[in-house]
Amino acid sequence: MKTPRIRLTAMAVLLSSMLAAPQLAADETCNSPYLSSLIKGQEDYVHVWTLGVKGVGDESDKLVTVDVNPQSPDYGKVVHVLSVGGRGEAHHGGFSDDRRYLWAGRLDDNKIFVFDIGSNPAAPTLVQTIADFADKTGFVGPHTFYALPGRMLVQGLSNTQDHGGRTGIAVYNNKGEFVAKYDMPTGEHDGVAADGYGYDIGINPQKNALLTSSFTGWNNYMMDFGKLVQDAEAMKRFGSTMVMWDLKAMKPQKVMSVPGSPLEIRWSLKAGDNWALTATALTSQLVLVKQDAAGEWQAKAVAAVGDPAQIPLPVDISITADAKGLWVNTFMDGKTRYFDISNPEAPVQTYEKVIGKQVNMVSQSWDGKRVYFTSSLLANWDKRGADDEQFLKLYHWDGKALTEQFALDFHALGLGRAHHMKFSAKPAPGTARDPGRGVAIAQR
Amino acid sequence: MTSRRCCWSRALLEGALLAVLLLARAVAAEVPTAEVSSAQMPDAEVPFAIHAPLGLPALPLPADNPPTAAKVELGRKLFFDRRLSFNGTMSCAMCHVPEQGFTSNELRTPVGNEGASARRNAPGLLNVAYHPRLFHDGREGALETQVWGPLLAPDEMANPSLGHVLDRLRALPDYAGLFEAAFAGRGASADTVGAALASFQRTLVAGDSRFDRYRYGGARDALSAEERAGLAIFTGKGRCATCHLIGERDALLSDFAYHNTGIGWLRSQEGAGVEVELAPGVRARVSAAVVRSIGAAPRSDLGRFEITRDPRERWAYKTPMLREVAATAPYMHDGSLPTLEAVVEYYDRGGAGAPGQSPLIAPLQLSVAERAAVVAFLKALSGRPGKPASAHQGEGR
Repeated sequence: MKTPRIRLTAMAVLLSSMLAAPQLAADETCNSPYLSSLIKGQEDYVHVWTLGVKGVGDESDKLVTVDVNPQSPDYGKVVHVLSVGGRGEAHHGGFSDDRRYLWAGRLDDNKIFVFDIGSNPAAPTLVQTIADFADKTGFVGPHTFYALPGRMLVQGLSNTQDHGGRTGIAVYNNKGEFVAKYDMPTGEHDGVAADGYGYDIGINPQKNALLTSSFTGWNNYMMDFGKLVQDAEAMKRFGSTMVMWDLKAMKPQKVMSVPGSPLEIRWSLKAGDNWALTATALTSQLVLVKQDAAGEWQAKAVAAVGDPAQIPLPVDISITADAKGLWVNTFMDGKTRYFDISNPEAPVQTYEKVIGKQVNMVSQSWDGKRVYFTSSLLANWDKRGADDEQFLKLYHWDGKALTEQFALDFHALGLGRAHHMKFSAKPAPGTARDPGRGVAIAQR
Repeated sequence: MTSRRCCWSRALLEGALLAVLLLARAVAAEVPTAEVSSAQMPDAEVPFAIHAPLGLPALPLPADNPPTAAKVELGRKLFFDRRLSFNGTMSCAMCHVPEQGFTSNELRTPVGNEGASARRNAPGLLNVAYHPRLFHDGREGALETQVWGPLLAPDEMANPSLGHVLDRLRALPDYAGLFEAAFAGRGASADTVGAALASFQRTLVAGDSRFDRYRYGGARDALSAEERAGLAIFTGKGRCATCHLIGERDALLSDFAYHNTGIGWLRSQEGAGVEVELAPGVRARVSAAVVRSIGAAPRSDLGRFEITRDPRERWAYKTPMLREVAATAPYMHDGSLPTLEAVVEYYDRGGAGAPGQSPLIAPLQLSVAERAAVVAFLKALSGRPGKPASAHQGEGR
């Protein structure tokens, strides 16, 4: 599909303006640096994008809102549930640049739901359903939602052609209208075979750097996990590259060989830093992507996660705001592991704890004192029987140990599989909700 | 979800359709043709000539569903339409991928609705019109009725009912008038959907391989010495042609009978785990206990026995045709053998020694060179290099 010239021009102007973005900042610590606000104090709510499960509650995917402010009488309770109807492999979400809206995707039926979080964080509403992702792009599996000024980047995982791993990045505007698409690179790039696969997006504005990672296509991420590991053909279809893009031009600059399916990308949040970390799911390595002395981006494995021979399956990772620590969850053994990354060239694991029979996502508060965990990886990859625990858990971190504060059993509550988490906060008393809400939150 | 395609793929598709029409005209005088008389047919039903390429007999066509251009085009549209699945994620072409020999090279067995596990490898559709019975177990006898199996199977496209599919088609604006135009005023129905999809699938013919040109075209140099040696083993010492038939005037390369190759029984035996390649050169062992902890228990598969209840047909599956076989990996009814080399090696060692295994399968004592020759011959069953055997290959969605 040709992208209209006028749209490309508009994108170029937009992308150019992004380079003037302020300090790199993230989640809270893993959000887009283009969010207008971060919650640097106590978050009030955690919104959990939850997969519906047959036989559990209404069996539908839903956004579950949990009150997490210890001063609230509803602390540790589900305060709102918003079902969106049916099951489509709910997975990840991301805030719009003004942090008012949460975009959340489904990897199976490709629907993207836009929730209004800003009007009333305690009771989000569904304001738009975008159903043209596959039609407009030929991509399948809207995975990562990454805000740009006035835009949303959406990283696909697969395609409508063969449900394999070749895919690309779509750009929507904040009205939910498709703007442009960019295929992931394929072919030979300076001796590295680009696989065309995608997974996560991470931007370092100061470096004009957009970094992408690579997972696998619909055929694999929808497949029964036990069946998958026994299918040698399917196991060959995992990403083995990371791509550094020229953000301003939206063109691939360098394809780096990173075998074993590199997943979440976490840039160092310190101003001036020029490195990011990722973890490879299959080969259990932490991989550092950093500029060398000549300014060339290089990727190299810097630490093993657990015993790679046991396939602990590193999944989500979360970097601390000071870029000195990294939480790494390993799905198979249900552990979270804390790495000291003061020297990102040589991370050292200093702590580990079993969170449950299985664990996937991890999100921490800006000060790193509160760490949240959820359990679900993918509907057909989660464990079976009694090991299929589904939860949201909050722990306090004192720098030495995690202490559980509450745990919500998503099965017992009739909710489903708990996946991606995003934080929100009530507007500060006496502040206007619109348009200055973001600023008010940021100052809390 | 719609099946709308991007501009380049639409152009490819139109080009491919034009190519098949031109190709058909170009070879019409040279090959047997199954042509339909237009006498007394409605104007809308322009006959569509499907030419059997060199090496294949005339195409068997049902008297009650002669192919027409309108039906073929409608069937093509249905075949690639993801909206035909319950949740809009799957078309027929998602498991029968044109670029992958109308099967899937990336999976042993397909993934269906919401990730459901299908039990058997997606059969390649090239030359499917020649199959007297359909599916690996032969449970269907006509393409017209076969198409409803995947549309309604819970582990495939998962539509809740036949009427649900028809209601959806009747409500889609881009289908308005298409059924009526193709079927003399008849709208979407179980019959017309089946007839359209069957008509399209009958156009998926593949022949005129180097083997065909050697055997039936008088081109003695069409096969290399190794390939000729492979053919000799295929029809002689290897006994492959006992089931993969080669005739005097044409070759269907199948007896369309059901045989217990031992593979079905072998898969029913629980393994002690599996060695997994995590990345090129990086391997690890996953225990059976771990596999059980992350996956559903495998469903049993007794093959033709499930249809006939005849104990002699336990783990028996239909003999596949072999044209374009190099493009249809992985192999066997469960996709368990990844390469042609592995298939030849399996038969060379006499199969799995399974209970009830066909007596036709016994150790062959082939040398390394002989096995390689058979593989070389199998690869010569593909169409002309650079020219897909079916002009429908390469279509996008």
